[in-house]
Amino acid sequence: MRVTMIALLAAACCHAQDAAEKGRWTFRIFCAPCHGIHADGGRGPDLTLGTYSAGDQDADIFRVISRGVAGTEMAAYSGRMSDDEIRGLVAYIRSVSHASDKSAIRGDAGAGEAIFWTKGGCGQCHRVGTRGSSLGPDLTRVGRQRSLAYLTASLLTPDADVTPGYATVTVVTRDGKKIVGVERNFDNFSAQLVDLSGKYYSFEREDVQSMKREPRSLMPSTYGQLLSESERNDLLAYLSSLRGGR
Amino acid sequence: MKLSITLIFGALALAQDWTSYGNNALGWRYSELDQINTENVARLTPQWMYQTNVPGKNETTPLVFDGMMYVTGPSNNAWALDAMTGRPIWSYKKALPANVNLCCGQVNRGFAVRGNTLFKVDLQGTLVALDAKSGTVLWESTLEDYKKGYSATSAPLVVKNLVITGMAGAEYGTRGFIDAYDSDTGKRAWRLSTVAEEGWPGDSWKRGGGSTWITGTYDPALNLIYWGTGNPGPDMDGEGRRGDNLYTCSLLAIDADTGKIKWHFQFTPHDLHDWDAIGDPVLTDLVIGGRTVKAVIQANRNGFFYALDRTNGKVLVSKAYTRITWADGIDADGRPIVIAGQEPTEEGKRTCPGMGGGHNWQATAYSPQTGLYYFTSTERCMLFYKTKQEFVEGQWYQASTIGRDEPGNGRIEAIDPKTGKLEWFFETVTSPTGGMLATAGGLVFAGDAEGYLIALDGRTGKVLWRFQTGGTIIAPPISYALNGRQYIAVAAGQTMMTFSLPRF
Repeated sequence: MRVTMIALLAAACCHAQDAAEKGRWTFRIFCAPCHGIHADGGRGPDLTLGTYSAGDQDADIFRVISRGVAGTEMAAYSGRMSDDEIRGLVAYIRSVSHASDKSAIRGDAGAGEAIFWTKGGCGQCHRVGTRGSSLGPDLTRVGRQRSLAYLTASLLTPDADVTPGYATVTVVTRDGKKIVGVERNFDNFSAQLVDLSGKYYSFEREDVQSMKREPRSLMPSTYGQLLSESERNDLLAYLSSLRGGR
Repeated sequence: MKLSITLIFGALALAQDWTSYGNNALGWRYSELDQINTENVARLTPQWMYQTNVPGKNETTPLVFDGMMYVTGPSNNAWALDAMTGRPIWSYKKALPANVNLCCGQVNRGFAVRGNTLFKVDLQGTLVALDAKSGTVLWESTLEDYKKGYSATSAPLVVKNLVITGMAGAEYGTRGFIDAYDSDTGKRAWRLSTVAEEGWPGDSWKRGGGSTWITGTYDPALNLIYWGTGNPGPDMDGEGRRGDNLYTCSLLAIDADTGKIKWHFQFTPHDLHDWDAIGDPVLTDLVIGGRTVKAVIQANRNGFFYALDRTNGKVLVSKAYTRITWADGIDADGRPIVIAGQEPTEEGKRTCPGMGGGHNWQATAYSPQTGLYYFTSTERCMLFYKTKQEFVEGQWYQASTIGRDEPGNGRIEAIDPKTGKLEWFFETVTSPTGGMLATAGGLVFAGDAEGYLIALDGRTGKVLWRFQTGGTIIAPPISYALNGRQYIAVAAGQTMMTFSLPRF
């Protein structure tokens, strides 16, 4: 009896390990482009934290992989992999999850909201719900879309990963005037941009001295100095709380 | 191959039609029409647009003859349009089974024609013959079972009484082939498997890839078909398929009557970066070292331009046309001088060019007027990760992933095929998506990712005209003449559109 029990436990152990390892292979092929090669996040959320926005049960993770999450970049994979493969992914995600300090939201979201609209000046470029400006990316659902680690990196070094469509465009006109703004369109023959005052410009290449697009952000890289650590934590707590409600 | 009708119209000698994927069997994508030329192209004006209302990527090369334009579209659709007005005459639609696995969209690249019979493939790996007058299906043949990962996307090639077609599906553990069918009956005449049984460990050849998803070319004098093959499978994990993996990433010279390989040239032995060798094999005679050589030229996806002797497959010219970090050049035997340590790894290895390569499948053009070879190229590097993957029949089998890297840009470029020397380039802000057309009017046309159709001076690369079509251009432009007017036609977004000089 005892021997059988151990054998069963051993089988359970190794079956789970095996499932997790196969899940890791599947993860690298389908999930790593957004969630990182080690599942610790990129443009998609960090999955090593043990907390998931769509629910913490295995069934929740299975559902998210299978059906996707509306309103985010998370696609539905049920047509592209078997249920067994999805279960393997769940096993892998479970095997790499570990609660850590970086998962802890240490700030106060209420205080962060106040910083967002006042001292931080974030609303001058970003929108939450119907409030704010549309110069930079809309943050209404950013707590669902991006991990805390990603938001932290974006706050301190905005150039680290510029959201597609929000590059910096610089146009020098024939009379030498330099106009810098956020990309609205940039193609082989024209550029459309909005400067920091919100003014919209459209140019054709033949009519200007030069036009260029650079993968850098116009967002100030000074939030590390402008805000104290506790203010930054409050702001990050607020951003993490933005899940689509108004 | 339908004969072009040449007639004298004023000072113009008009080869009016466009009757195959590359317009001639040699794959030049060159129109002899010169009514639209460098002097007047600035006045080029839209003539008609046909809205297909079918979403998806439009990669078609339309055929034009007898006053009709024959257009294939995404998702097994096709149309016959009046070539003067764009009005629809008949349409074709083949239902698509739910579980056809496709790596890269529900695309199709065009018809072939013999007499009054059109030929096209459907996505579920079938070849169909249609009556050009009515669109009636004359026969249909199955290439291979789509449930095993096989599919078809390319325009067939007509050689004598045979319809030659490739297949797609190297990302699904398939074994590539090129098939020939009797054009009257649809009966298979021969099959050439592009993955040899020898030289592969165990039974790895059974899922060895080597798909054949871009139309080949034909030299009637040598009676040889030239057809490129795709990547080995699984793409980025070579552990289970050690060796060169013949005949993947190769150009095959094939006896048109028997389907036997006359010679092969492998551009990328044991490929680990998905660098298919399927780009148009363009046939042209080059004067190299005072000697005229029958050549086949290709801007290969691995970043090198090649000119080979098309009688024997020996390399004549090789030259990098984009940033390359995986090889130091090509040796005298045509084998790349590989730089060690560029294989995809568990933690990711950055290599240039990226997975899409320097030049992918986008149609290329050759102008006998300028002697230049025109193609679009991408400047991009990528992180390549290797991983393990179990093979499941009919399922995705790439064993790999790529990481995000800097966004690519690219060029529309012209090179001298005798030397590989870059003659001019037009820099593009994103990776190019469209193919090329060259004309006797001294022009080359190309579409871009943002929807511009562009006319450039074929000698200098100077932009002479552009038009914003409102839809990404992936398809190559073509040219034809009707009632004394030359047209430029291209599929942009979901629309087929044409341009000509103003009537008024």
